[in-house]
Amino acid sequence: MQNMHAGFIFLAVIVGSVLFHIFTPWWWTDIASNWGAMDDTINLTFWIGGGVFILVCLFMVYCVFKFSYKEGRKVEYKPEDHKLEKILTVLTTVGVIALLAPGLIVYNNYINVPKNALEVEVNAWQWGWQYRLPGEDGKLGTAQVAKITDDNPFGINLDDPYGKDDILIQSDELHLKTDRPVKILLRSLDVLHNFYVPQFRSKMDAIPGIITYYWFEPNKVGEYEVLCAEYCGVGHYAMRAIVIVDSEESYENWINEQETFSSLIAKQNNDKLKKTRIAKKDN
Amino acid sequence: MSDNTLNNLPGGYKGMAHDMGSDQTAFKGVQWGKFMMWIFLLSDTFIFSCFLISYMKGRSSTVVDWPNTSEVFSLHVGSVPVPLLLIAIMTFVLITSSGTMALAVKFGYEKNRKMCAWLVLATAIGGLTFVGMQMFEWSKLIHEGVRPWSNPFGAKQFGSFFFMITGFHGVHVSIGVIFLFIFARKTFRGDFDTGKRGFFTSQKSDYVAIEILGLYWHFVDLVWVFIFAFFYLW
Amino acid sequence: MSDEYNQNNTPLEAQSSETMSGSSSSKTDIDYVRPAELSEQDLYHGKSFITKWIFCQDAKVIGVQYFLTAVFTGIVGLVLSWLMRLQLGFPELVPFITAEHYYQFVTMHGMIMVVYFLTALFLGGFGNYLIPLMVGSRDMIFPYVNMVSYWMFFIAVCVLMASFFVPGGPTGAGWTLYPPQAILPGSPGSGMGIILMLTSLSLFVIGFTMGGLNYLVTILQARTRGMTLMRMPLTIWGIFTATALAMLAFPALLVSCIMMTLDKVLETSFFMPAIIQAGEVLDYGGGSPVLFQHLFWFFGHPEVYIVALPAFGIVSDLISVHARKNIFGYRMMVWAIVGIGGLSFFVWAHHMYVSGMNPWFGFFFATTTLIIAVPTALKVYNWIITLFRANIRMNTVMLFCLGFIVTFVNGGITGIFLGNVAVDIPLSDTYFVIAHFHMVMGIAPLMVIMGAVYHWFPLVTGRMLSEKLGKWHFWITFLGAYSIYFPMHYLGFIGVPRRYFEMYDSPYMASAVGMNEFITVAALIVGAAQFIFIYNIITSLRIGKPAGKNPWKANSLEWLTSEVPPVHGNFGEKLPVVHRWPYDFNVPGSKEDYIPQTTPPSEVIGAEVEKT
Repeated sequence: MQNMHAGFIFLAVIVGSVLFHIFTPWWWTDIASNWGAMDDTINLTFWIGGGVFILVCLFMVYCVFKFSYKEGRKVEYKPEDHKLEKILTVLTTVGVIALLAPGLIVYNNYINVPKNALEVEVNAWQWGWQYRLPGEDGKLGTAQVAKITDDNPFGINLDDPYGKDDILIQSDELHLKTDRPVKILLRSLDVLHNFYVPQFRSKMDAIPGIITYYWFEPNKVGEYEVLCAEYCGVGHYAMRAIVIVDSEESYENWINEQETFSSLIAKQNNDKLKKTRIAKKDN
Repeated sequence: MSDNTLNNLPGGYKGMAHDMGSDQTAFKGVQWGKFMMWIFLLSDTFIFSCFLISYMKGRSSTVVDWPNTSEVFSLHVGSVPVPLLLIAIMTFVLITSSGTMALAVKFGYEKNRKMCAWLVLATAIGGLTFVGMQMFEWSKLIHEGVRPWSNPFGAKQFGSFFFMITGFHGVHVSIGVIFLFIFARKTFRGDFDTGKRGFFTSQKSDYVAIEILGLYWHFVDLVWVFIFAFFYLW
Repeated sequence: MSDEYNQNNTPLEAQSSETMSGSSSSKTDIDYVRPAELSEQDLYHGKSFITKWIFCQDAKVIGVQYFLTAVFTGIVGLVLSWLMRLQLGFPELVPFITAEHYYQFVTMHGMIMVVYFLTALFLGGFGNYLIPLMVGSRDMIFPYVNMVSYWMFFIAVCVLMASFFVPGGPTGAGWTLYPPQAILPGSPGSGMGIILMLTSLSLFVIGFTMGGLNYLVTILQARTRGMTLMRMPLTIWGIFTATALAMLAFPALLVSCIMMTLDKVLETSFFMPAIIQAGEVLDYGGGSPVLFQHLFWFFGHPEVYIVALPAFGIVSDLISVHARKNIFGYRMMVWAIVGIGGLSFFVWAHHMYVSGMNPWFGFFFATTTLIIAVPTALKVYNWIITLFRANIRMNTVMLFCLGFIVTFVNGGITGIFLGNVAVDIPLSDTYFVIAHFHMVMGIAPLMVIMGAVYHWFPLVTGRMLSEKLGKWHFWITFLGAYSIYFPMHYLGFIGVPRRYFEMYDSPYMASAVGMNEFITVAALIVGAAQFIFIYNIITSLRIGKPAGKNPWKANSLEWLTSEVPPVHGNFGEKLPVVHRWPYDFNVPGSKEDYIPQTTPPSEVIGAEVEKT
C-alpha cells in the first residue's frame, strides 16, 4: 500500500474524530449545580488539546503524503535546531499554563467551602446509603463505627448533646433545597465508596476511619440518580441512591416528616417498655 | 583500569562530566559487582524508607496512645529496669561487626588470607549474635502479650510495625550471616587467592567479593541505626 | 569463539597497537578510539540442553524466554478482556459471567497487562535481547543472575495463574487492590486469591530487581570502545531510564504488598480502620487506607512510565530507520526521557485527587503533572519533525509508528484533562479514565511492540515477516482499537462509572447501551485480528523470505553481528569499535543513505557528518 492510501486513511481517522466530537449524542448531561466552571475548563482543554492533536496529526499526514520513499530523494540531515526547539518549548509551556491556571482557580473554589453551607452527612456502606442532617442546633453529633448497633444505626455518641436532634434518614432518598450550598460530609462504615451525581459534577471518596467532604450548590429542581464511584466489592454497580432537589416548600415538608435521633431512641424505649409490660403480664 | 590510568583522569566536576561523556564505562575503575551492589542497596534503601515513613505516618496519626518505648524495651538487671539495654548491646555488637568487616576488606586486598578469614568469621559471629538477641527480644515481647494484631501497652500498630520492620531487617541480617559464613569458608580454603570458580555462578572468585559483601553489611548496620533511632528512641 | 573460559576478569590495560584501526598510533588519527579499559568478559557456555536452552545464561535466549512468557500472559489478559466486553455489551448472553467473575476478570486483566505483559515484555524481552547487542557487549555483566531473574518471573507467573484455581478464585479487587475491600469478604477472591496475587507481585519485584541490576550496570559499565552514552540508540535510553525507575518504584509496591499480606494473614491494621460488616464490628482499627494508595501510586505512576519510556525509545529508532533520516533533536530526546523519568516520581497523587487526601496536595500534583506534559510534548514534536523532509518507507513497521503517534497524542491529551485537578473531579472513576489509559498505555505501546517485532524479527530469526499479512494486521488493529477507545471517552463525559458489572436498569445510563455493544463487537474483531499476527510469525519462521544481514540498512550495532541470527558472544572474534551515533542517515556527501556506527571516518571522508 502506497503512502497515498495510508495517508488518506489516517486523514479519515482525524476527520472522523472531529466529526464524532461535533455530532456525538453522548455528551455530558445538563449541569444541575454551580460547578459550570468545571465544564468550562473542560471546553478550554478541548480547544487547546484538541487543537494540538489535530495539528500534530495533520502535520504527520502531510509528511506521509509529501515524503514517500523515492530512490535518491534529497533528505534533510539536521540533527538539531535549537531555535525551533526553544520556540516549541515556550509554546507548550504557555499552553500548559493556560490550562493549569483556570483549573487551579476552580479547584481553589472547590476546597473552600462557603460559610453558609448546610452540612449533610452521607453514610456509605456495602451496599447502600443513609444520611444525617444536623437538626436545630446546626451541629452534627459525633459518631463512631464502633458504636453502631441495631438500635443506633449511625453510631452516634449517646453522650454528645449535639447528636440528640440530628435528623436521621435511613432510606436512600436524600432531599436538598435548591440554591443552597451543601457540604457533603462523607463517612464510610466499611470500605471506600464515592457519592457521585453526574449532574452535580462534584465527587469525593468516602474513606472509613476519616471524614471527607466536598461541596456544591444544586440549582435545578429535579430527581438525580446517585452512582457509587469507587469500587467497593461485588455490589458496587448496584449501590444507587436518589437525590431530589426541592423547592423551599417541598423541602420543608420533607424535613418535617423525618425522624430525629431522640425520637428514634424514644420509639425504641417505648417498644422496650411495651415488651417488658407484656412479659410481666405473661408472668 | 590500572591505578596509573585512573590517576591520570581529570578530577572534580570536570572529571565527572568527562567520565560521563566518555565511552565504555561511566564510572572509571568501578567493578561490575560493586556497582550492582550499590544499586541494589539504593533500591533496598527505598524499601526501608517506605517502611519507616509508613510507620511514622501510622504513629503520628494514632488516636490511641503509642506505648512508651523506654518501658516496653527495658531489661531487668536484678530488680532494676534498665531501659533500652538490650538494643544498646545489639547496636554495639552490630557496629563492632561492621568494624571487623571493614578490617577484613583491608586484609583481603592485602592478600592476607588468614587475617581476612578470621575477621569475616568474627563478623559472621557478630551478626549471628545480633540475630540471636533479636530473637530473644521477640520472644520476650511475645511472652508479655505483644502481637502483630494487638498489644497490652497501647496502639495496635505498635506490634505490627515492630515485628514487620525488625523482622524484615532481621531477615536481611540473617542472609548476610549466611553469606558471611560461606565467604569465611571460601577465604580459609584460599578460593579468593586461587580464583576458584563459584559453584553456582561459575565466575572466578576474587577478594573484591569481600568488599561487596562488606557494602551489604554496612548497609544492614546503617538501616539498624535508623530503626533504632525512629522506632526505639522516639 | 573458543570453548574455554577466557582469562580473569580483572581489569587490564590493552596494548596500544591493537586498538588503533590505522597503522599510526598518534592521537591525531581521525579513526582514533580510546583503548579498551577492561579485558574480555568471562562468558559461561552451556553444554547440555538444559544449560543451553532452559537455564541458559545467554541474554538473547533469556530475552526470548521473557518475550514468550509475557506474550502468554498477554493472551490470557486478552481473553479476559473479551469476557469483560461480552458482559458489558451483551449482558444476557453469557450467564456464567456473574458479578464475582466479572470483577475477577477485571482485576486479573489489569494486573496481567500492566505488569506481567507490558513491563516484562519491554524490560525483560526487548531489554535482554537488545541491550548487550546495541551497546556492543558480549552479554549482560552478570549472566547467572540474569538467568535467575527470568525464572523468578516464571514462578511469579505460575503463582498468579494458580490463583485462578484456588477456592474463591482469583482476587477481584481491581488491579489497584485498594484496601479495605481487597481483603474483606465483599470482594471476590479475598481469601487465597489476594494472597497469591500479593505473593506473585513480590516475586515479580524480586526478579525484576535482579534483572534491572544487570541492565543498568551493563549499559553504564560494559559498552564497547567508542560507545559513549550519547551515541547509544534511544531504545537503550528508554529502557535504561525505565529500569532506573523500576529500581526505585518497585520498593513501594513490595512494601504495600507485604503490609497488605500481613493485614490479611495476621490481622494487623496497617491499612484497616474501624469497620463494621454485616452488623459486626471487625477487629481492625487505626489503619489508613489512604496510606496504601500513596504507596501504591508512588509505584504506580512510575510504572506507567516504565511501560512508556521504552516505547518512546524504540519508536524513535523505528521511525529513524524506516524514514531514512536522523532522529530530530537527539539530545533533547535523551534529556526528555531522563526528565520524564525523574519527574514521574513527583506526580503520583494525581491518581488520588478524590481520595480524601489533604486537599492542598491537589495544587502541587496538578502542577507537576502538567509540567511533565512539556517534555512529553517535545518528544512528539521531534517524532513528526523527523518525518519532515525524510524519505518514508510505508512498510508495516512505519505504519505501526504512525499509529503510535496518533494514539499516543490522543491518549496524552486526555491525560492533560485528567491531570488538571478541577477537570479530574467529574471525570475520575468514569470511563474517561479507562479510555485514557487504554489509549496511552494499551494501544500506543502495543503499536510499538508490534512494530518492533516486525522490525527485529529478521534479526532474531533470519527471516522477514510477510508484509501483506502485516498490513492487514496493522489496519484492523489500529482502526479497530481506535474505534474502541475514542468513543469510550464520551461515556465518561456522561458520567458512566468504571468497574460497573452492568448498568443495572439505570435510566440515566440507558444511552450507553448502544455504545457498549459497538465497542464489544470492535473489541472482538481486534482480538481476532491478532491471529493474523500469530499466523504470520509462525509461518514466516518456516517460509519467510531469508533476511540476510541488515535488511533494513540500519546503523545500530545489533545489525552488525558476525552471524545472523547472532550467536552466544554476539560479535565473533572482535568486539565492534564505534565511531558515530546511530542516526547517520542520508548524510550529505555520503554514497549510501546510511553509515553504520562502526564505520570509521576514514571510510566516509566526503560525508558532512555532525560530530557525535
